[in-house]
Parts: sequence; C-alpha cells; structure tokens
Amino acid sequence: MSSKTTIYGFLFVGLAVTLALIVAPAVYAVSLSFYQMDSFVGAPKWVGFANYVAVLQAPEFWHALLNGAIYALGSIVFQVALGIGFALVLNEAFPGRNLVRGLSILPYLLPTVVVILTFKWMVDGGIGIVTKAVEAMGLPPINWFESPGAAMASTILVSVWMWTPFVTTCFLAALQTVPQSLYEAARVDGTTAVQRFFHITLPMLKPILTVVVLLRAIWMFNKFDVIWLLTRGGPVGATENLAILSYRHAFNLFDIGGGAAIATISFALLSVAVLIYFWVFPLEDD
Amino acid sequence: MGRAKTLPRRLGLYIAALVIAVYSAFPIYWMVVSSLRQPTELLTNVSLIPNVLSLESYRNLLELTDYPRHFMNSVIVAVVAVLVTMVFSVMIAYAVTRQRIRGKKVIVGAMLYAYMFPPLLIAIPIFTIFARLGLSDTLTGLIASHLTLTLPLGVWFLWGFFKSMPFELEEAAMVDGCTRLGAFLRVVLPLALPGLITVAIFSFLLSWTDYTFALVMIGSDANKTLPVGLASMVGSFDLRWGEIMAGSTLIALPLFAAFALMSQYFIQGLGAGAVKG
Repeated sequence: MSSKTTIYGFLFVGLAVTLALIVAPAVYAVSLSFYQMDSFVGAPKWVGFANYVAVLQAPEFWHALLNGAIYALGSIVFQVALGIGFALVLNEAFPGRNLVRGLSILPYLLPTVVVILTFKWMVDGGIGIVTKAVEAMGLPPINWFESPGAAMASTILVSVWMWTPFVTTCFLAALQTVPQSLYEAARVDGTTAVQRFFHITLPMLKPILTVVVLLRAIWMFNKFDVIWLLTRGGPVGATENLAILSYRHAFNLFDIGGGAAIATISFALLSVAVLIYFWVFPLEDD
Repeated sequence: MGRAKTLPRRLGLYIAALVIAVYSAFPIYWMVVSSLRQPTELLTNVSLIPNVLSLESYRNLLELTDYPRHFMNSVIVAVVAVLVTMVFSVMIAYAVTRQRIRGKKVIVGAMLYAYMFPPLLIAIPIFTIFARLGLSDTLTGLIASHLTLTLPLGVWFLWGFFKSMPFELEEAAMVDGCTRLGAFLRVVLPLALPGLITVAIFSFLLSWTDYTFALVMIGSDANKTLPVGLASMVGSFDLRWGEIMAGSTLIALPLFAAFALMSQYFIQGLGAGAVKG
C-alpha cells in the first residue's frame, strides 16, 4: 500500500463518518424547515417559507430572542469579571495555591444535571441550606423561580458558577505570558496596582479576552440544558430562549417544521458569530 | 511576585483565595455531605458536618431505583463514543497534517464550526433521521449523536497536536523500510499518546455529562443514561433529596477521580478550549 493510499484512505473514511453524522443532519435541518410535519415518521408536506412566516410573526420568537440576549449578556459579563478576578488572585503566590486552583476548576467538570439538582436542593423552600441561612439572618425568604426577573437572575447565577472556571483557566494561562519586566518597570515609575492592571495586564489580555467573549457568546446564546432543567423556560416564558422555543415546537407541540425553522435561524445567527471568530482569528497556515 | 508584600495585602490575598475555594467547592461539599446523612436527619439538621454518616441513601438508590441500569448505559455509551472518536479523529487529523490536501482549511474550519454548534440545534434533525432509520430510543443512536460533539473536538485538538510533531521521525522509519501505515502505527501513535489521552478524557466528559441529546434521543426508562435518569427521578420520586444527592455524587465521582489522577491533561485540554458548554 503506497503512502498516499494510506493517507487518502484515512481521510476518506474519516470524512465519510463526519459527513454522515454532522453535515447531513445540518443540511437536513435546513430542509426540514420548509416542510410541515406533525410526527417524526409522518410524510412531510412542502410549505415553502410558511414556517418562517409563522415563526417570525409570533411574538414569542422575538421574546425568546431578547431573553437569549439578556441571558447571554448577563452571564458573560459576570463570568468574565469573576474569571479575571479569580485568575489575578490565583496568579499570586500563596500557600496552598495549587489546591485552590484545582478547586476553582471543579464546577466546570460537573454535569449540568448535578449542578442544577444541587442548586435546587440548596435553595429548597423548606430545608435548603441557603433558605435556612437567609432565615437565620432574619431576611425575608427569596423566591428563586416564581417571578420572571428572579427566574432569569437564578438562571444567570447558576450559569456563572458553572462557566467561570473556563474564563479563569484561559486568563490564568494568558497571565503567565505577560513579561514580569513590564511590571518591574512600571513599579519603578511609581504606579499603583490599579494603574498597572489597566495599563499593562488588561491590554496584554485583550486577545484572549476577545476569544473568550466570542466563544462564551456563541455557547451561552443557545444554551439549552441549564435553562430547561432549571425553569423549563418559565415562568410564563420569562427564561425561554431560541433553543427552548425550538425544542418546545418540535417535541411538545409536534410542529417539527417550526422547530427546524427556529433552529435554522439560530444556525444563521450562530454562523455570523463564527464568521467573526474566523475573521478575527484566521486559521494559521502551516 | 517574589517581592515582599505588606501584611494587609497578604491578608487580603488569603481572604480572596479562601473565598474562591469556598465559592467553588461548597456546593460540591454540600452535595456529598447530604448524600451521606441519614435520610431522616436530612430534613431536620443543617449542621455543616453530619453527626452520623450513613450509606442508606446510596443503598436505597442502588436497590430501589433504575440507577444501576442507567449507570451501565452511561458507561457503554461513553466508552464506545470515546473509542470511535479516537479512531476517526486520529485518521482525519493525521491525513490533514501530513499531506498537501486541497480544501484542508475548509475541513479544519468546518470541524471548528461543528464544534461550536449547540447540541440542541442538531438534535432535531438527527432525531428525525434516526426515527426513520429505527434508531430512536437506542443506545446506538445516542452514541452516534454524541459523536457530533466529540469528533470535531478530537480532530481539532489532534490537528494542533500533529502539526507540532516533527515529520522526520516517521520519514526516517519509512526510509528504513516501514510502510506509511507501519510508521503511523509504530512511530506516530505512541508519540501522540498524550494527545490521545486528552481527547479520550474530554470525549468521555462530553458523553458522560450530556443531557440534551439523551433527553431528545431516549424515550424509554430502560435506555436512559444517568443525567436524564437522575433528572426524571426528581419528578417521580417524591423529592427524596438524600437519594438524589447520592446519585449526583456518583455521577461526579468518575470525573473527579480522573481530574485528580490526570490534572495535567485537563489543564492542557481546557487551555485549548476542549470543553464546549
């Protein structure tokens, strides 16, 4: 077997699998959005752009788009702020630093289900530890999920806890590449720590900040599992984003074409973000 | 860093470190502690350290629920997904780095793109296709859907890994009479082991923790994996928190064990953005 045969054989087999598993479903998703289907095995009926018209005319779509943006923005701002703060602390030398670094990554390793169930247990109305703590401090009980605003805040809170370690890890790695000589020179010039942060650390972190914010934005905007497990998109649609709306259409309302249309619109929005990513960070030529 | 610090500054640093440690670890500690309390004590006692340790919640969980079965399903799905991912991602990544292939950038770019896809968007069409193929509600279907998460990750990560591996070694082996396949199996694969381990760990993590695909693909109780099985217990089990926390602890345990034993691979992978979510 010649060298080229082996390599092209590898490529062919690998790409065939990818094509069947990823490309075909993506294309199929787009095509589904032009059909009306009441069940997953039923015969599809061509309806053109009718699904899109119906979806875009429903106020719940625009509501979900806005919710997704609020959720993504809220959780990204706090993840990034906390992540930078944590990275700055963990970059300093102190006894037990490796232990704290290890602990700070743990939330990221937990399955979403575990995080949500533990959160629900901690804020359980009767006997949760947080509920008891709030009670002991003499504060009125917190309604975590009842009002629309509270449900959104709770969803963001849990998401920030889960994904801050991603930001911390990225920034910690980046901080180690900032040359110490810059800080030494700035100290000689009599700058304060705050000035050094804004004039040295932050500019040096800017490239990684762009990657992190873009990646987080792409993933948070279409988040499904956290929201579904925590609030099912409720109360009264207050935490419903496009992913939840798409799921509800396809699997609860059996409007598969409508669900596919929402997914396709999300694909399109996502693609814009990914294009920006490729434009900012072109693939290196080797 | 090495400079002497003033006392207040050092104190501030310790307090900040303590806050980070408690913030990150307390919910996990509380999960484990709750799972080890006596179920009767759970409802009355909120002491930070339990008086009596008890395995009753674990016994109930393993004897009275479908948890063991869901655990086995999760193991099967994750192990098969990891193996398949490793085989195919190595093939693609190796071919793309070792041969001038037209459209190489398109392939790698498409992989990165696929890696950024939110699972739910691809779950609807995959489920529809599998329903027609008779693969809905099967572990095979679930494994195939997990490959949409793990395969792009594997190719993306190994592409970077093979790029940084010198060509000379395998070329020397081929000059010595090895075929390309022989050189690949005997020289390249052993050297790529650290990269393969990282891919295996993160593929396992993605498959083991997946809730979205399992929710969409699996309908029957018998075929559920742990995340969906545990979540559905909350609805049907009149909220027995002890058992639910025991179940949560057992899902997290393999991940923590792997992290403790192989933290350098985790850090390396996280640095490369290896977990979506």
